[in-house]
Amino acid sequence: MNVVVIGLSHHLSPVELRERFAFTEARIPAALKSLRESGLASEAVILSTCNRVEIYAATALEPATAFTELKEFLVQSSGLAGNCDGVLACGSLLPPSNPTPESKAPEGWRSPKPGGSSQVLGQDVPLSGDELYTFAEPQSLHHLFKVACGLDSMVLGETEIMGQLKQAYALAQQHGHTGARLNKAFQRAFHAAKHIRTHTNIQRGSVSVASAAVELAEKIFSSLNDRDVLVIGAGEMSEKTARALLSRGARTIIVAGRSFERAQTLAKEFGGRAVQFDDWAMEFEKVDIAISSTSAPHHILDRAKLEPLMKARKQRPLLLIDIAVPRDIDPAVNFVENVYLYNIDDLQAVADDYLKQRKDEIARCEAIIAEKVTALLKLTDSQPRMDTDGHGYKTQADPA
Amino acid sequence: MAWFTDRHFFLLAVAVYGLSTVYSVFLWRKGFRKDDHVNYLLLLAAFVLHTVAMVRRGFSINHCPVNNLFEAAMFIAWGAVIAYLVIGLLPRLRFLGAFVAPVLFAIGVFALMPELDPPHGPKPQFTGALTSLHAATILLAYGAFGLAAAAAGMFLTEQHDLKFHKLRAVLSLLPPIQRLEIITVRLVLAGFILFTIGLEAGHYLPHPNDVSVSYWSDPKVIWSIFMWLVYLGLLVSRRIFSQSSRRFAYGIVAAFVFLLLTFWGTNLLSPLHHP
Repeated sequence: MNVVVIGLSHHLSPVELRERFAFTEARIPAALKSLRESGLASEAVILSTCNRVEIYAATALEPATAFTELKEFLVQSSGLAGNCDGVLACGSLLPPSNPTPESKAPEGWRSPKPGGSSQVLGQDVPLSGDELYTFAEPQSLHHLFKVACGLDSMVLGETEIMGQLKQAYALAQQHGHTGARLNKAFQRAFHAAKHIRTHTNIQRGSVSVASAAVELAEKIFSSLNDRDVLVIGAGEMSEKTARALLSRGARTIIVAGRSFERAQTLAKEFGGRAVQFDDWAMEFEKVDIAISSTSAPHHILDRAKLEPLMKARKQRPLLLIDIAVPRDIDPAVNFVENVYLYNIDDLQAVADDYLKQRKDEIARCEAIIAEKVTALLKLTDSQPRMDTDGHGYKTQADPA
Repeated sequence: MAWFTDRHFFLLAVAVYGLSTVYSVFLWRKGFRKDDHVNYLLLLAAFVLHTVAMVRRGFSINHCPVNNLFEAAMFIAWGAVIAYLVIGLLPRLRFLGAFVAPVLFAIGVFALMPELDPPHGPKPQFTGALTSLHAATILLAYGAFGLAAAAAGMFLTEQHDLKFHKLRAVLSLLPPIQRLEIITVRLVLAGFILFTIGLEAGHYLPHPNDVSVSYWSDPKVIWSIFMWLVYLGLLVSRRIFSQSSRRFAYGIVAAFVFLLLTFWGTNLLSPLHHP
C-alpha cells in the first residue's frame, strides 16, 4: 500500500486552470466514493482550495499505474470528460501510458512537456503539461507535511492551509474514506505543523504591506481597540490596510475621498463614516492612524499644516501611512513630535524582511519534516497494517 | 559559614547583575527578537541573593537595614529589582530587565565601596519606626525612579527606531511605546508619592543631640526638596502642559542620573544624615 499524491497548485497552474479542477465541498464525498469504488484507492482525501487541488490516496496499485488512473479521474471530475479525448489527444494533461521510473525520483514525477499549448473547453488556458505533479512515497508524505506547514503555500508559512487541510481530512474521515494509512499520515502531518510553528520562525511576522502596517501600529499604540482610522483617498492598498486594522480591533474608519459616493460606499463596508475630501484635516484631532493614497500630484499634508493639528491633539501619537505614489505627505512631517510617518517602501521593507526571515527558516523546517517523515515510515513499516480494500472492508495486510 | 557575611551575598548578587548586564548587551545587539526568560531568571536569582543579604544585615543590626550608604544603595536596588520582577511577569515588558540590569549593577558596584559601609557602633546611627519609614519609603522611591528611568530609556530607544524606520523597531519583541510611556508615568507617580511620604516622615524625626543645624537648612533636605520639585515639575508638565513623550522620557532619565551622581555627596555634606 502506497500513499500517492496528484494535484496542481499555484506554483505551475494559473487560476483559470485551477478553477476548472476545483471540487466544491458538496462534490467531494461523491468523488471520494467513486475513487474507492473504482478500486483506484483504498483511502483518499481531496484537498481543494483556491491555490491547489490535490488528491491524497492510499493505493495498492503501482504508483505509475495509479498516477495514470488518477489523472484520468481528475480530468473526468473536472468536467472535461466530454473533451477528454481531445485533451488526451493533446497529451498535455495526461502522462504517457507507461510512466518512467522518475515517478520515484526525489522531486516526483511530472508529465512530459508537449511543447505546445491547448485549449480546455474553449477557454484560453495554455497547457504546457507541467501543471500536474505526482508524488509517490516517501515524497508524497514529504509533500503532505510541507503543505500542512505552509511551506508550499503562496504566502510562505501561512496558517490558513492547515485549517483547510484539516477540513478536507475531516470530510473524508466523516464519510469513511480514510483508514490506517492516511489517518496516520495526516495526524502526523498536523503534529509536525504544530511542532514547526512552535519551534521555528516560519510563521512569524507579516509578509504583506497591509499586515506590516498593522504590526507597526501595534508597536506604537498599547492597543488598537478604540483607535480611529482615517482613510484619505480610497485605493486598493489603503482599503486592505484599513480592513486589516479593523480586523485587529480599530474602532472607526473614516473615509475621505474625492468621490463622496465612493467614500460612502467604502465607509458603509467598514461600518464607518464618510467625510468630504476637503474636510479630512478636521478629522485629524480625533484620529490615531491616517492612511493616505490619493492621486494628488503634490503633498497634501506638510509640516506647517500638521504642527497646529498636533497641538490640538495634545501630543497624542499619530501614525501616518503614505501609500500614494507620488507621495501625499511631506517626509519632513516625520520630524514633528509624536508623529510616525511610513511610506509604501518602508512597509515593503518590513514585509520583505519578515519574508527573508521565513525563507531562512526553510532549511530548519525541511530538516524537521524529513525527521518526522522518516519516523512515520519506520512506524508504518514496523506495524502490521489494517488496510481497507476497495470496498471499505478492513483487511489485515500481509506483514511480509 | 559565619565568615560568609551579608556583604558576600550582596557581592554575589552584584556579580549576577553584572552577568545580566552582559546578557543585556547581547539582547540589544540581537534586536530584542527573542523572549527574554534568561535575563528574567538571572535577575530573579540575583534578587534572591540580594534579599538574603538584606535579611542577614537586618537581623545582624536588629533593624531595617537603611543606616548607611551601603545599606541605602542596597535598598534602592532591591526596590527597583522587586518592581521589575513584578512588571516582568507580563511577557512584553520582560525586556525592561535589559535596561534595569546595568542600573542595578552600577548601584551595586557603588554600594560595595568599603568606605560606604563603616562598622556599626554599639547601636545603629538611626533607630525608631519613623526613621525606618522615612528611610525605607525614600529608598523605595529612588528604586521606582530608577525603574522609571529604565522604562524611559527603553521608550527612547524604541521611539528612535520607529522614527528612523529601523527594522528593529517592528521586528523586536519590545512593548508598544505608548504602554512604555504609561508605565514610566505610573512609576514616577508611585515614586513621587513614596518620596513625599518619606520627606514628610523625615520632618518629624528627632534631631541627633550633637547636631545644631535646622531641618530646612540641611543640604540633604534641600537636595531632597529640589529632587521632589524636579519630579513634580516633570509630572505637571506632562499632565497639564502636554509635554512631549520624548522630552518627558529624557527628563526622567536625566533626573535619575543626577540623583545617582549627587546622592552620595549630599549625604556626606548633611549633618543630619552624617553627623
